[in-house]
Amino acid sequence: MKYILSISVLLSCFAFSAMIYEFDNEADEIRFNDLIKEIRCPKCTSGSLSSSNAPVSEDLKKRIAEMINQGKSNAEIKEYVAKTFGKESLYDPQFQQDTFLLWFGPVIFIFVAFLLFFLRRKT
Amino acid sequence: MIIEISHFLTIVATGLFFLVGCFAFIRSGDIFISKLISRTYSHGFLFLFSSFLIYVWLAVTDNFSVAYIANHSNTALPTFYKISSIWSAHEGSMFLWIIFLAAWGYLFNTKVDNKEVLKSKSIGIISFILVGFLSFLLLTSNPFETILPFAPSNGADINPVLQDPALAIHPPTLYLGYVGFVIPFACAIAFLIQGNSDIKWEELARKWSVVAWIFLTIGITLGSWWAYYELGWGGYWFWDPVENVALMPWLAATAFLHSLSVSIKSSNLRIWTILLSISVFSLSLFGTFIVRSGIIDSVHSFANDPERGLYLLGFIGTIIIFSMFLFVLRFPIIKSVGNIKSFSKESFISINNIFFGSLVFSVMLGVTYPLIYEYLYDQKISVGAPFYNAIFIPIVVIACLFLFFSIDSKWQRTIKLPFFGGATILSSLLATAATFLSTYLIVIKSVSIIVSLFAGFLLIFRYLIEISISLLKKKYLNPFSAVAHFSLGLLIISIAFNSILSTERAINIKINESEIYKDLNIYFQDIRVVNNSNHDAIKASFIIEDMNSNSYVLSPEKRKYFTRGQITTETAIHVTLLRDIYLTIGDQLDDGSWIVNIQINYLIRWIWISAILMSFAGLMLIFSKKRS
Amino acid sequence: MNLMLRFLVLAFPIAFIGMFYVLLSTEDTYPGADYKVFEIPEFSLPALDNSSYIDNSSLEGDFIINVWASWCITCRVEHPYLSKLSREGIKIIGLNYKDERNDAANWINKFGDPYDLIIHDIKGSLALDMGVTGAPETFLVKNGIVVAHYQGEVNQLIWNKVFQPIIDSKKINLK
Repeated sequence: MKYILSISVLLSCFAFSAMIYEFDNEADEIRFNDLIKEIRCPKCTSGSLSSSNAPVSEDLKKRIAEMINQGKSNAEIKEYVAKTFGKESLYDPQFQQDTFLLWFGPVIFIFVAFLLFFLRRKT
Repeated sequence: MIIEISHFLTIVATGLFFLVGCFAFIRSGDIFISKLISRTYSHGFLFLFSSFLIYVWLAVTDNFSVAYIANHSNTALPTFYKISSIWSAHEGSMFLWIIFLAAWGYLFNTKVDNKEVLKSKSIGIISFILVGFLSFLLLTSNPFETILPFAPSNGADINPVLQDPALAIHPPTLYLGYVGFVIPFACAIAFLIQGNSDIKWEELARKWSVVAWIFLTIGITLGSWWAYYELGWGGYWFWDPVENVALMPWLAATAFLHSLSVSIKSSNLRIWTILLSISVFSLSLFGTFIVRSGIIDSVHSFANDPERGLYLLGFIGTIIIFSMFLFVLRFPIIKSVGNIKSFSKESFISINNIFFGSLVFSVMLGVTYPLIYEYLYDQKISVGAPFYNAIFIPIVVIACLFLFFSIDSKWQRTIKLPFFGGATILSSLLATAATFLSTYLIVIKSVSIIVSLFAGFLLIFRYLIEISISLLKKKYLNPFSAVAHFSLGLLIISIAFNSILSTERAINIKINESEIYKDLNIYFQDIRVVNNSNHDAIKASFIIEDMNSNSYVLSPEKRKYFTRGQITTETAIHVTLLRDIYLTIGDQLDDGSWIVNIQINYLIRWIWISAILMSFAGLMLIFSKKRS
Repeated sequence: MNLMLRFLVLAFPIAFIGMFYVLLSTEDTYPGADYKVFEIPEFSLPALDNSSYIDNSSLEGDFIINVWASWCITCRVEHPYLSKLSREGIKIIGLNYKDERNDAANWINKFGDPYDLIIHDIKGSLALDMGVTGAPETFLVKNGIVVAHYQGEVNQLIWNKVFQPIIDSKKINLK
């Protein structure tokens, strides 16, 4: 049994028809799984595509899988999702002019805090 | 009507607490007043607690003339869930919150001697806060409302997702943590009002703070564990706004505990400690506000109207602004002893405060940014894991490095840190080796994972070495610090390994067929309909066999609950220390096959084990002999 | 310096609380309405009566797109209002969403056809590209460009609150 099992594991091609979302290689599958965690379910109050089995989530997941198989990059896929369901569908608040304060806020905070820390030490 | 007795008792309690608050600030130092206040507070609490006990009794005996009980409980529920239904929605959970707040005050009242200078004022502050929340409860969120004259014969059903032991315990544990921080808050405010810098409020508040911290840690861990096995998609932390508002007080509380040590040991950082004490409770209050105001979209938040939100905001805002005003006013009188020496333990903790402060700031930024953005640009935006991970990982890693080097530092003096000391070198080498090995074997390409692993291993090996040295050479080592920081290292590598190693796939499979995923053979044995008292279920059976010929049965389900027609998925998990095999079933396809989601989650149990271990360190501190 | 610092420290929580007061008191856009402007995505799908293929070139000018299905109960509730709009001469394109052709055709025969044209989107691919999350949903289109999107049942109240302001401000002619 162990022998048969190990042989079948060795022989099984990555892409076998039992997969709901089919990919050509494991890297794509991992990319898919990571992506759907970062995209919001369009219909749910909160939660990612990964956590939702609403019909529109399933459709969107299939579309994303298609796009990965077409060789589209993460950026292109996210652009499509943002265009179709709104920027709020991305859990990643893209680094843009209007999110500058968000991304740099923590950095500025630490910088100012340490500045004050060292200034007070001097006195 | 019995409910009216309960209602009346709560009103009387409110009146008594108001009296306590007034008396507390009339004449200080008078032992007679102190005893009066103490006694009145106890009476107030007893009335309030009796009111709550009656309420629980009404829930357990299916008294559906009470509107809240009718809306959230049902005769078919087991008694345990009839009780837990009390805190399943806004009014009841607010009631529980208040009971816990009053209970903490009662314990403090009982255990602290009346001669303690700050006691009366602390009790007074707690009482005023209680009066505020009780007014909010009675005036806007009344759990005592009745449906009369025709009480329904049965109640509505509780959301089936809430009929779960972990979820029944999670809110009380969390609330105990949240409201526990009223004690150090009250002590700090009492200290500020009293105005005498020599009073060591920090010592008074310490053990209470640690206990509250333990509850908060366990509460958050329980929530994470529950979400993992109940919600069906295998995540343990989602950076959901409601989770974040529990994380913020925890971060502030952890910083507070560290700062408290410094204030107690060296009378330093007293200003930071007071500020943190105010911040922790303020963040707890803020969390309560956010969840109940309806301002944030989350499956977790209580459905509410903005009017209640405004009332709550007003009350909480008053507490926070008043405290900060007092703080700013009394700023000059808070005297610390001397300056902090460079590279001393105090200086490291001082820097630690900055790191924790920045984490709290970042989470607050992430939670409020979508609200501000929508207000300014009339457009929605989401802030989720990518943001929080990008901020947390670098800061936590750097903080760990500081922690690593702080181990050799001493209290109240500067020493040259032994950058090439034995323990430092050995642990660095071991950490490098472990990281390199992991990176090579698993083929890790992510820099953040590699760096996190290194930081975690550094702490783990260093503390293992320190603990060994301490046992062998009988050298002193602070055990709580060792265990807690070791757990931190464990937590970091568990999260990192879980993130990089875990995999999942959705497959379709027919009955009597096998599929292979990674090193597992999955055989779909059967699927059948199961009837239960309050739900019907489709229960599938899978036999999983791994490479070592271990086999086990997993039975995920899909349930349909009768009263609301709600469909839930029940996960089936095979737990081992190394990994979880996690299975859920999806829909059936046209060809008769079923969609099955399989996940292999590595080291996930270790995440919760580390958190519990951290709480255990706190417990060790509580039960240790009193240190001066 | 000390006084300045103290003032700042106090100003922060006051500003923070004030901010939440403002946020709580402001009114949101009408729930379910979205005014994002975008071009109708490229598509080529059969008509429901299978007579021909419809693509972007068939959709010119100003009109409404209504997403519906025979399995959608709320669509049944919405239907009389759409019929009223149709009688007034307003051009309505139907987007039949994830529906079997027979089921959809029977539904139309039974309840009446308010649509100028019905696109049979059995997989929901065009719908997905347009950001549809279910049925019923309705789009307001000017010159082939979507200018308003409502998720939910359209009735006179919704029409007045969500669509009419846009129709007026953008001078849309649906007839």
